[in-house]
Amino acid sequence: MQTFQELILKLSEFWARQGCALQQPLDLEVGAGTMHPDTFLRVLGPEPWRVAYVQPSRRPADGRYGDNPFRLGKHHQFQVVLKPSPLDVKDLYVKSLEAIGLDLTQHDLRFEEDNWEAPTLGAWGVGWQVMLDGMEITQFTYFQQAGGLELKPISAEITYGLERLTMFLSLSQSIYEIQWVEGLDYGQVRKQEEYELSKYYFEVADVAFLQSQFEGFEREAGRCLEAGLVLPAYECALKCSHMFNVMDARGAVSVTERVGLMKRVRDLAVGCARAYVESREQQGFPLLGPAAKTQETEVADAAR
Amino acid sequence: MPRGEYLLEVLSEEIPARMLEPGVRELATRVFEELMARGLGPREVETGFTPRRLVLILSGLPEAEPDREEQVMGPPVRAAYTPDGKPTAALLGFAKRTGLEPEQLSRVETEKGEYLSATRKIEGRPVAEVLAGIVPRVLAGIAWAKMMRWGNGEGPWVRPVHGVVSLLDGQVVPFDLYGIAAGDRTVGHPTLSPASFAVAGVEDYKRQLAERAIEVRPAERRSALYAAMTARAEALGGRLVEDAQLLDKLTAICEIPGVMEGGFGEAFLELPAEVLTTSLRDHQSALTVVAGNGDGEGRLLPHFLTVMDRPDDPSGRARSGNEWVVAARLADARFFYGEDRKAGLAHRAAQLDRLAFQERLGSYAAKAERLAELAGVICDQLGWQDEKADAVAAARLLKVDLATEMVKEFTSLQGIMGGIYAREEGHPEAVWQAVYDQYMPASSEDRIPRGRAGMVAGLADRIDTLAGIFGLGLIPTGSKDPFGLRRAAQAVVRIALEGGLPLDLDGVVVAAAGLYGDRLKRGAEQILEDLRPFLDDRVRYVLGLGGYAYDEIEAALAVGGGGLPDLKARVDALHKVRGEAAFLSVVLAAKRIANIVKDAPERTLDESALVEPAEKELAAAYRGLRSEVEEAAAAGDYERCLRRIADLAPVLDRFFVDVMVMVDDENLRNNRVALLQAIGRTVSRTARLSEVVVDRAEARAKAGAA
Repeated sequence: MQTFQELILKLSEFWARQGCALQQPLDLEVGAGTMHPDTFLRVLGPEPWRVAYVQPSRRPADGRYGDNPFRLGKHHQFQVVLKPSPLDVKDLYVKSLEAIGLDLTQHDLRFEEDNWEAPTLGAWGVGWQVMLDGMEITQFTYFQQAGGLELKPISAEITYGLERLTMFLSLSQSIYEIQWVEGLDYGQVRKQEEYELSKYYFEVADVAFLQSQFEGFEREAGRCLEAGLVLPAYECALKCSHMFNVMDARGAVSVTERVGLMKRVRDLAVGCARAYVESREQQGFPLLGPAAKTQETEVADAAR
Repeated sequence: MPRGEYLLEVLSEEIPARMLEPGVRELATRVFEELMARGLGPREVETGFTPRRLVLILSGLPEAEPDREEQVMGPPVRAAYTPDGKPTAALLGFAKRTGLEPEQLSRVETEKGEYLSATRKIEGRPVAEVLAGIVPRVLAGIAWAKMMRWGNGEGPWVRPVHGVVSLLDGQVVPFDLYGIAAGDRTVGHPTLSPASFAVAGVEDYKRQLAERAIEVRPAERRSALYAAMTARAEALGGRLVEDAQLLDKLTAICEIPGVMEGGFGEAFLELPAEVLTTSLRDHQSALTVVAGNGDGEGRLLPHFLTVMDRPDDPSGRARSGNEWVVAARLADARFFYGEDRKAGLAHRAAQLDRLAFQERLGSYAAKAERLAELAGVICDQLGWQDEKADAVAAARLLKVDLATEMVKEFTSLQGIMGGIYAREEGHPEAVWQAVYDQYMPASSEDRIPRGRAGMVAGLADRIDTLAGIFGLGLIPTGSKDPFGLRRAAQAVVRIALEGGLPLDLDGVVVAAAGLYGDRLKRGAEQILEDLRPFLDDRVRYVLGLGGYAYDEIEAALAVGGGGLPDLKARVDALHKVRGEAAFLSVVLAAKRIANIVKDAPERTLDESALVEPAEKELAAAYRGLRSEVEEAAAAGDYERCLRRIADLAPVLDRFFVDVMVMVDDENLRNNRVALLQAIGRTVSRTARLSEVVVDRAEARAKAGAA
């Protein structure tokens, strides 16, 4: 029986061997690992990048007070980004499944079309949901655009849903029964949190406060961008996104407001994306190798 | 001895199921066309695909393009020779360029005078060389529904390319596709036979894939799956619930057609069958099994059948995995079902104000209010007072299920779920059925809603949407129809036609636009201006499917009023009598009349001022005819109407022979025009006969025979 943390350890070890920087989760509330700046910002521009990390991901509206054995308001994703996507990225992914102990000659593995789009990030990609014995275990995406910008090179993003994968590998009947570490189950670690977060998001959160937070962080993001501070601006944008999600779960977002709020978050994300590329360019794209750099400068000069 | 067999296999990462068939068809068609254009048509073309492979096999290819001759124009003859008849530098230069001796050049006459020309023989290129040019170009040009780039910007193509087998009679036909060189190696199944292997030719390719249980012909995979599933269902004591679309998808997501059979707990059978079937289909791509003959025939059994991309399941992991997922999904569905029933439709209705119908058109709560009003308007128009209460109640309930957990999870259950919940809450049969049937007809094969309340609610919903979106000026163009307005308009047309509803659609649209208050950008008249032709297009389409010719439809459409059932009766009458000889001459006469009176202002007939016997005779015949035609039309007997008009044929023919309409005497002329105008109106009571296309030779032949 595989524990939750063994899965994290094996995936971390496998992707570390592929040259990924093992990053830590972003210390802010986000809806997905994609929103971590080490994905969303790093996929922009010409610099190569390989990273892997766990990201606790909050979807307030998915909370079920700890009652539903298959749904969580906060789950954990294991996120991998390979930029540029190597031609053997799918093979690497399949090897990662072997690394977590799957004998694929005994399973049915399929890749079914599933394209990804995040309007609030101005981002979309093309890819699959990976089905293992009929269960979706991974989201596999080739990013095409982020922050409204066309991407080159292209990044491959691999996102494993950790709870579901652990549950599936042990065929558990409830998320709360999976073992975090031997002798300690997921419910003992997180069930109360699920209950309290659901209660807060659905019943207690103060809408006026959330609204003022949204506006405050939106203003702050603008100020940061003016000061040329991309990362703090982006963090403020993420705060806005989270505030929006909580207000939405709280049932406080009307039809007409919804579109407007989403657009405001998108504008911030797009603004940060552009500012990030400019900032990296000013720094001379530090992660580019010397040869690539000359080429990039030539391309940039030609563009001017 | 070359056999002219070409094998192309493109290996790529998994191509979306929906794109495979169109992709491989485009590949085969374009390669075939390009080869044909070069005189290289193959005797046979085979195609195949799996999620990872596109396969094209051509056999009986000629060895090379046919040799051809090319004529090259040279200098004019007058510039080719010196006055004393010696070749000039121009002539010699031309001969040198074309590689011919001066005496091999010929002369051609052109508009600009006589020119020298050279005929060059061009040797046809070998077929391999031609393929090497065509195939990569066609492959790169396939118009995939969605494209992507990868790596350092390679592409765009549907998915990253990993390998190309390109062999003509066992020899590699080299080219390069996104950095991948074509060769003779492919791979087996990614987990069961992943090693790469060399292929010697078409036969060898087929044999080696068969050894690995890979089937590239989709039709073969489909029938293998179907046979195995049918057999499994029977072994389970039931019968497979067929779903052709799903079977196509299953065919496209595997290269080894293995059937995966699984079961679920009997307790889940408490869920409505629609929910079970939808959950299994949408989440698990699984077909269901129902009880066969005997007890509870048609009842769902706790089994499902889907595909696995492998021949068997030795460890049982594929099965236990699928069953685990199905159990989780059904537990979820049961949770939603319980929550929805606990909440009740009234509570869900209160949540509709948070669901956007359309950004500018407000929420579904506002829509529900409009629909209730509009349903009332439609009932009043049709004189359906007994059905009004049910229709209005159904209209108010129609969209409530959009706020239920079940529909949020399974959008394809919208309508159906509302109907089920309404039935469980004890709403009258007419009401819950109207809610259940609201999206009917969903396709051209689908039927219209069962009862009157259902028809009214279905019409109200679509007309509200059409009026609203047209009212914002968002009129569908070309293939862009994001709100599904064509389908909505088609449903309106079919419900009115098949339900036999003598509806004044313009009136309903005006009422619908009015119910939006000041939300719309355009007024009702402006909306109708665009909506009428849009609806007419759907009428043409629907009647066309019914087997009527386009000119019959146009002729009937040109005469407005009366509603769609009346229109259909007129088209039908026209369809039945159009072949009759007498009727054909009336059509020809109608065309003549239409021509003569085309630009003339409306004139009043003064019978006493008619002079010629033929025109007096016509006026008399017309007098007798008019009331009869009106009477038949009023009774809806358009066939009698048209036959009666046909009686006019001999009199009309005599009129046109004996009487000149466009005479100089203005009074005489206007009076004759007035007579023809009156006749034209009556003749076109059923359909504008001048729109009917007549094969004149056929008309003459029939007239002669009559």
